[in-house]
Amino acid sequence: MRTVLLGPQRFMTTAGTALRSLGVEGPVATINAGWEEREDVVDELDQVIGGEARHLRLHHRMFDVIEKDPAFASAAMTFRDRHDALLSLYRLRLQHALDGVYAVQRRVREAQAAAYGALDDAIEVVRHVDNWYAGQLKTLYAELDAASPIDASGVIGWHRGEIAALLGESAAVVLTGGHVGTLLRALRLFAIEIPDELPVVAWSAGAMALTERVVLFHDFGPQGASEAEVFDRGLGRVKGLVVLPHARRRLRLDDRDRCAVMARRFTDQHCVLLDDGTALELDDAGGLPSGARILGIDGAIHDLSETLR
Amino acid sequence: MNDRRLAVNRLRERLPVDGAALDRFLGRHGAPIIEGERATFLFRGDADEVRVRHRVVGLPDPLPMKRLPETDLWVATTALPAGSRVEYQLETRRGEHYERFNDPLNPRVAHSPMGSSSVCAATGYEVPDWVNHDPEARPGELVEDTLHSKALRREQPVKLYLPARYNPALRYPLLVVHDGTDYLDYAAMKTVLDNLIHRLDVAPLVAAFVPPRDRLREYPNHAPHARFIARELVPTLAQRLPLVDAPEARCLMGSSFGGIASLSTAVRYPGLFGSLFLQSASLVFTDIGTDHGGGPAFDPVVKFVNRYRAKPTRPVERIFMSCGTYEPLITPNRSMVPVFRGAGITVNYVEARDGHNWEDWRDRLREGLSWLFPGPQKFVYE
Repeated sequence: MRTVLLGPQRFMTTAGTALRSLGVEGPVATINAGWEEREDVVDELDQVIGGEARHLRLHHRMFDVIEKDPAFASAAMTFRDRHDALLSLYRLRLQHALDGVYAVQRRVREAQAAAYGALDDAIEVVRHVDNWYAGQLKTLYAELDAASPIDASGVIGWHRGEIAALLGESAAVVLTGGHVGTLLRALRLFAIEIPDELPVVAWSAGAMALTERVVLFHDFGPQGASEAEVFDRGLGRVKGLVVLPHARRRLRLDDRDRCAVMARRFTDQHCVLLDDGTALELDDAGGLPSGARILGIDGAIHDLSETLR
Repeated sequence: MNDRRLAVNRLRERLPVDGAALDRFLGRHGAPIIEGERATFLFRGDADEVRVRHRVVGLPDPLPMKRLPETDLWVATTALPAGSRVEYQLETRRGEHYERFNDPLNPRVAHSPMGSSSVCAATGYEVPDWVNHDPEARPGELVEDTLHSKALRREQPVKLYLPARYNPALRYPLLVVHDGTDYLDYAAMKTVLDNLIHRLDVAPLVAAFVPPRDRLREYPNHAPHARFIARELVPTLAQRLPLVDAPEARCLMGSSFGGIASLSTAVRYPGLFGSLFLQSASLVFTDIGTDHGGGPAFDPVVKFVNRYRAKPTRPVERIFMSCGTYEPLITPNRSMVPVFRGAGITVNYVEARDGHNWEDWRDRLREGLSWLFPGPQKFVYE
C-alpha cells in the first residue's frame, strides 16, 4: 500500500513529483469534491497530474442525488440539522472541558509538581467528550441510513457503479484539499473504498480524509484561537495519525502549553504537521517516514527520527 | 509626547510667519495633525470664533480653537488615545452668524443619513481591509422585494441579500437588519458580507434589509412592527427561500433605535430568534424617576428598558453587543451586559474608541457576524 501525504499545494506544488515518484502508469482518478462548486475547474490539476485524469466529480454527483432522490435529500437535511445541533453541544462541552485542562495546566506548572495527576485526568475528560461526540455521530449516521437506505436508492447506486468503474481503471488516486466536510460527505455517500494496492497521493483536506479521525483546527480565525475538534471518521487508510495541514499558518505553534494539550489529547496518535513542501510517503506498515514533524507531548515540534533515537 | 514638541508649538515659536509659511505648514502636516496621542485641529480664515464640534463624551464640546497671533490660523489640540476614530465638524461665528461645515483641510469624510462629517483617525486606527471592494470576492446579489404588511398596514420594501453561490438546494441562516438601507448605504454592508463570506469568516447567509418608515414610532417597542417582523417577514421569507428552520439560525440586528427594535421584537416573540446583534443600542433607562435626558422620543424606550430590567427574560440565546466608548450610550450599554447575562443569555460585548456613527458600526461587523454566524474557515484546508 503506497500512500503519500502532502502539504498544501497553493504555494509549493509537489503533487506532480510525488506522483512520478510512485511510478504510476495509467489514468489517475481524482477526488476534488472539497473544491465544491469549483470541482470542474481542473486545468491546473490536469497539469499537475500530467497524464490522463479520471475526475470522479463527487460533489457534482452529490447534488445530482439530492435533486433526483427526494427521500435521500430530506433525510440528509434532517441529518445535517441534527449534526449541527450535536456539534453545537459538543463545542460547548469541549470548551468547558478544555478550559478545565488549561486551568489545571497553569496550576500544575506553578506548583512544579504532578498535582495528583490532575492534568492527565482533566485531559481524560476531554477525550471522554470527544468519544461521546463520536458515539453520538455514529448513532446519527445509523438513523440516516435507516431513514433512507442508500442501497435502495437507484440514483446513488448508479453513481456508485460509475465511480467503481472509474476507480477500477485507474492506476492511482489523487485527493485534493478543500472543504473537508464536503469531501467526507461525498466519500461516505458514494462509499468510496480505495483498494490497498492503488497508490494514493493526498494533500491537505485530502490527507485528512484518509485518516481514521479528522480533527478540525484554526487558531487564527476572526474570533481568535478556537479549540481543535474531532469532526468525523475518515477513510481509515492512514492509521495512527492526526493530520494537521497548514500547521504553521493555522496553529499557535509557539504556544507550547496549548500544543502539549493537543498532543496529549490525541496521545494514541501522532499529530503530524503538513506544511508547505512536506511530502511523506508512508512505509509498508503505514508508518511515518523519518523526518516527519510531529507535535510532542512537551508541546514542541519534533522530527520523528530525532524522537526515535 | 511633550506639548512643546508638537508641530503647532514649533510653528508658534517661529511666529510671526507669513501666509506662504502657513501654506507650507499645512501642506506638510495636513489636518488634523496626529502626534502620538494628541490631535491638533486647524482652521484657516477670518472669524470671530472657531470651534470643533463633536459628540465625544469626555471632551469639551464645543472645543474652542485659538488663533495664532498675527495669523489667520486657528488651532485646538486635544487628547486622542491610540485607536480612536472621531467624527467632527468645525463651527465659525462671525458676529451673530454661526456656520457649521466639514473641515476644509481634511479630505476624510464619513456619511450618514444626517449628512456628512469629517473624520479624525488617531494613531493605530485603520480602516479594515474587508470593508473595501475585493475583486476576488464573488458578489452576492441584492434583490428588491415588497411585502404587504397587515400589521403595518402598508407595502413594506425589503432588500434581500443572497450570498454568492446561492443554491436553493442548500439552506441558509437569516439575518434581519433594521435600518437596512442605511446599513447598505453607510456601513457598506453588502461589500462587507461579500468579503467576509469569501474569506470564510462568516457563513453564507441570507440577509433581509428592512427600512423603517416612521422610525421613532416603529422602533421603540412597537407591537405592529414586532408582528410584522415575527409573523409576516420571517414566515414569508421561509416560504420563499431555503432558510434553516431553527431559532439559532435567525438573528435580529440593529443600531441605536434599531437595537431597541431588535430587542423588543425578540422579547415579544421569545424563542423565535436565536441571537441579536445590537450596535450602540439605545438601551436608556432610569433608576429612579422619569428624567432620562433623552427627550420625548426616548420615553417609550425608557419605559421598555425599565420594564425589561425589572424583570429580565431570555428571549434569545446569544447577544453580540458593541458600543463606542465616546458615545453617551456607553453607560447604559455597559449596564445592560450583566442584566442580559443574569437572564442566562450568552453575551459577547465589545467596545471601540469611536462614537455613535455608521463607520463604527461598520468596523464591528466582522467581529459580530463571525461570532454569530461562524464561517467554514475551520473546514477548509486547500
